[in-house]
Amino acid sequence: MILFEDVSYSYAPGKYALEHVNLSIGEAELIAILGENGAGKTTLVKHINGLLKPQSGKVTVCDIDTKNSTVAALARKVGLVFQNPDHQLFAETVEKELAFALVNFGMPLLGMASGVDWAIKEFELNQYRERPPFLLSGGERKRLALASVLCYNPQILILDEPTTGQDSRQKSRLANLLKNLNREGKTVIVVTHDMEFVADFIPRVVLLSKGKVIAEGPAEDILTNRELLMSASLLPPQLAELSWDLTLSKPSIDLEYVISKASSLLGGPQG
Amino acid sequence: MKVLHGFEYRRGTSVIHKIDPRSKLIYVILFTALTVYFINPLLLLLVLSSSFPIVLISKISNRWIQSIKGSLIFIAFIFIFNFIAIVLTTGSIWLAVTSGISMAIRFIALISIFSVFFLTTSPEDLTQSMVQMRIPYDYALTFNMAMRFVPTLSREAQIIMDAQRSRGLEMEKGNLIQRIRNYIPVLIPLIVSSFRRAELVADAMESRAFGATKKRSSLYVLKMENRDVLFFAISVGSFLLLLSLKLVFGIQ
Repeated sequence: MILFEDVSYSYAPGKYALEHVNLSIGEAELIAILGENGAGKTTLVKHINGLLKPQSGKVTVCDIDTKNSTVAALARKVGLVFQNPDHQLFAETVEKELAFALVNFGMPLLGMASGVDWAIKEFELNQYRERPPFLLSGGERKRLALASVLCYNPQILILDEPTTGQDSRQKSRLANLLKNLNREGKTVIVVTHDMEFVADFIPRVVLLSKGKVIAEGPAEDILTNRELLMSASLLPPQLAELSWDLTLSKPSIDLEYVISKASSLLGGPQG
Repeated sequence: MKVLHGFEYRRGTSVIHKIDPRSKLIYVILFTALTVYFINPLLLLLVLSSSFPIVLISKISNRWIQSIKGSLIFIAFIFIFNFIAIVLTTGSIWLAVTSGISMAIRFIALISIFSVFFLTTSPEDLTQSMVQMRIPYDYALTFNMAMRFVPTLSREAQIIMDAQRSRGLEMEKGNLIQRIRNYIPVLIPLIVSSFRRAELVADAMESRAFGATKKRSSLYVLKMENRDVLFFAISVGSFLLLLSLKLVFGIQ
């Protein structure tokens, strides 16, 4: 569905933001992109909706070479939610904000209404419908920005740091939403630093460091690999740390597994 | 937005970078006055060329060229409008051409003088020199912040444009009016987030005791040294020389 073939990109000569990246993301995957600050995460996802075109190599999205397509055309398939909601909210009311993309795509009125209604319900924004987006709180603005992309139902969804500023209730709501979308067959890509969020909810991980993909695979394997996480300056999830401290033969990020191992070590009942 | 790079200070080690901003400010004021006062294109060319040695000594030619290149489109506009206006009012093509050229050179000279100044003067030094010139600190600081946030703003405008394009906004679509309207989804977030940031910066500064005492001390105090006096003297000397070309020798 998304294919990076030997993609390189640099903002300034001699310094690569992405260096010979090869990556394949299939249909209906739920995947996290992790990496230290400046690792190239945002540069990578900007290639998926064509905001950036590869300087060498090739990016293919839904069988379209991004070099031959416009951002507007790709945006129908790829929804990209930016990190800071204040970079995209502008309309007079929440409702108009939600409709912006739908209007851009020339959606008929009926489809527009159902998209907007769905998003308002899903993101608990009903009481704000007629309010200006700027008067919402930080967390609400973040949700609105996400809603304003989701309401046009893109096939691929990319979220840049969606969990910052969200409390744990909103985080688990977000996780459920992402899982549901994923179950419906959508590809969901989450760019994040939130290791616990990844450990709890996201099955596959791509690890970037200094513009290169240094690892990719099941979250279970990568998030329990101390050397890999160290080399990407990432803090391991608490369960992985606990596994190491207990010197489990197979470290894990699965809560029940770690608990059962821990209680058997303590000589308690086997879980 | 690229033209802004031509006015953005970058640390440098040349003697021009080290010269007291007050000396440089004198140069800017005197030579800006000349660009307004002179009409003859040759004299204006001399005013423009006054910035060349500064560019060479301070090794800023790449960025300086950016500022000139970036303003070429305005220069073309100025030339064309001048030309048309003067042809229509006087009917003389010759006069229209020379006056168009004069206006264009005048504009280039202004850009060049200001570019040289801002490229080689750090905003902090400039603020400090304003304070030492008895300009109230609040005004000096406002000026400093305005300069400081120009690159931030241009970076932010780029991010906002990316965000809205990701939601299907096509900036280049439609007729002239439509295209201007296309900028609304970019301008509003830019303005709103500027206000938010201004508030944040104000809060952050007050949390660090900004305005706690009437009399502030400074980490650095600028002192006029020989090289500063020399630069000042050369500026005033060449200013008088150029002025005399018109006043004494009557070159119009």
